[in-house]
Amino acid sequence: MMHPDGKLLEMRHVGFTYSTGIGFYGGKRVEALRDISFCVREGETLGLIGRNGCGKSTLLRVATGIFRPDRGELIRYCDRISLLALNVGFDPNLSGADNLVISCMFLGASRREALALHDDIVAFAELEDYIDQPLKTYSSGMKARLGFSVGLKMNADLLLVDEVLGVGDASFKSKAREAMMERMNSEQAVIFVSHSLGSVVDLCQRVIWLENGEIREQGEPEQVVEAYLEHLESVKGVGRPQQRERTE
Amino acid sequence: MLAINTRQFWAVFFTKLVFNLRSEVSRTYLGYVWWLLEPVLFVTALYIVFGTFLRTRTEDFLVFLVIGQVSFSWFSRSVSNASRAMLGNKGLMNQVAIQKLFFPLLVVCQDLVKQAVVFVAMLGFLLYMGVDAGAVWLTLPLIMMVQLLLILAVGFVCAGIVPLVPDFRFLIGTMLTITMWGSGVFYSYEDVLLERHQNLFLMNPMANLIKNYRQVLLDGVQPDWSALAVIALISIGVILAMMWVFRRLDTTFARLALQ
Repeated sequence: MMHPDGKLLEMRHVGFTYSTGIGFYGGKRVEALRDISFCVREGETLGLIGRNGCGKSTLLRVATGIFRPDRGELIRYCDRISLLALNVGFDPNLSGADNLVISCMFLGASRREALALHDDIVAFAELEDYIDQPLKTYSSGMKARLGFSVGLKMNADLLLVDEVLGVGDASFKSKAREAMMERMNSEQAVIFVSHSLGSVVDLCQRVIWLENGEIREQGEPEQVVEAYLEHLESVKGVGRPQQRERTE
Repeated sequence: MLAINTRQFWAVFFTKLVFNLRSEVSRTYLGYVWWLLEPVLFVTALYIVFGTFLRTRTEDFLVFLVIGQVSFSWFSRSVSNASRAMLGNKGLMNQVAIQKLFFPLLVVCQDLVKQAVVFVAMLGFLLYMGVDAGAVWLTLPLIMMVQLLLILAVGFVCAGIVPLVPDFRFLIGTMLTITMWGSGVFYSYEDVLLERHQNLFLMNPMANLIKNYRQVLLDGVQPDWSALAVIALISIGVILAMMWVFRRLDTTFARLALQ
């Protein structure tokens, strides 16, 4: 289903609540997202900024369909929305090559596509000598390189990127950054979550600033980032993030 | 709203099934041998306790025991693996929007492959022990099919409950042990139970299935078709209900995994 305006994803007044515990002891309700409305169009790179625990990761999970919004509406106009998470479905006992295949498939590729991408991914990850070894023998940097390379080579109509530019050693980091920027500058539509405000201004056409689960401001990258920095300055040392960020 | 469609679901499923079986083997020195060694160890222990110490032994006690143990351990292993399946995949659930039934179904199928090997070995053992194979053995796949349906039904229920009420994890192990005592794995209900209790005993689907396996394999008698049909129908009903529940709770499971 294609939208005439080139819309890929739209949220209308989306709200999402979860509870922090189970049973008789826990169970505080946290409103992770409140009244979120925005849309993403083809070819656009949308930045998402905000302090830890403001709801960025939750927002990405709602966009992927992992979480269903409690309130409001989520409308998708495209088939493949993929969360570029590291190490999807990795099994330490399997070889790097097997993990590569299964990870690609979880991200939406067919087995044939995954096998066809094998050489490309291995080359980018610089793991030619290790790819047939079990994953448990990999260092964490090697694992992250494999995970990143899989995510990078996957096709998606809309790619959700959650702060993954910082993997591997210095040389891999700059290569990864470059490859990701190239991808964002192409026709790929991206929602990009980052704490590196420089990258956000460089890469994004539009930025959303989330604060306590609500959209505080949305618009031109320079303006939004400027306002966000001012805000950070004003609350420095005062407020603690109200929620812990939960990432895997 | 799910990102992974049906075709992709099954493609990933079978790839993952093959990979998991391979990965399971690579974790141990003896690998595939464990699939057979595990039931052998169990049977040996039960044989020593009940056959030797307690002297409940009849002439064909060993083959009698093997049949009961092999079919019951299939049930118990699959159910307890299924009940852990959701918790073991928390991470993945929060990275990919996939139908959550994927996880319990995967472990049940993994166990099915292993069980098929064990079953063939068991038939070989029975023949070696001098049990006569008859045409009625051809009904075995049907009894196994009914047991698979039962495993899926119970496995899905356990898999669905544990993330909602984690306390159930502790209960499931205990319930499986109790079910074992009540399934006649190492005793013949006809010898032990009063006649008026026997029908009640056979209401336990595992007891009923074990009785049917023995009836077919040892006595060469047709299985109790109407009992099998009842077990199959109830299981199918539960499976369908659980498919509906999993669809309803799909994203709730991902959320619960974080709590």
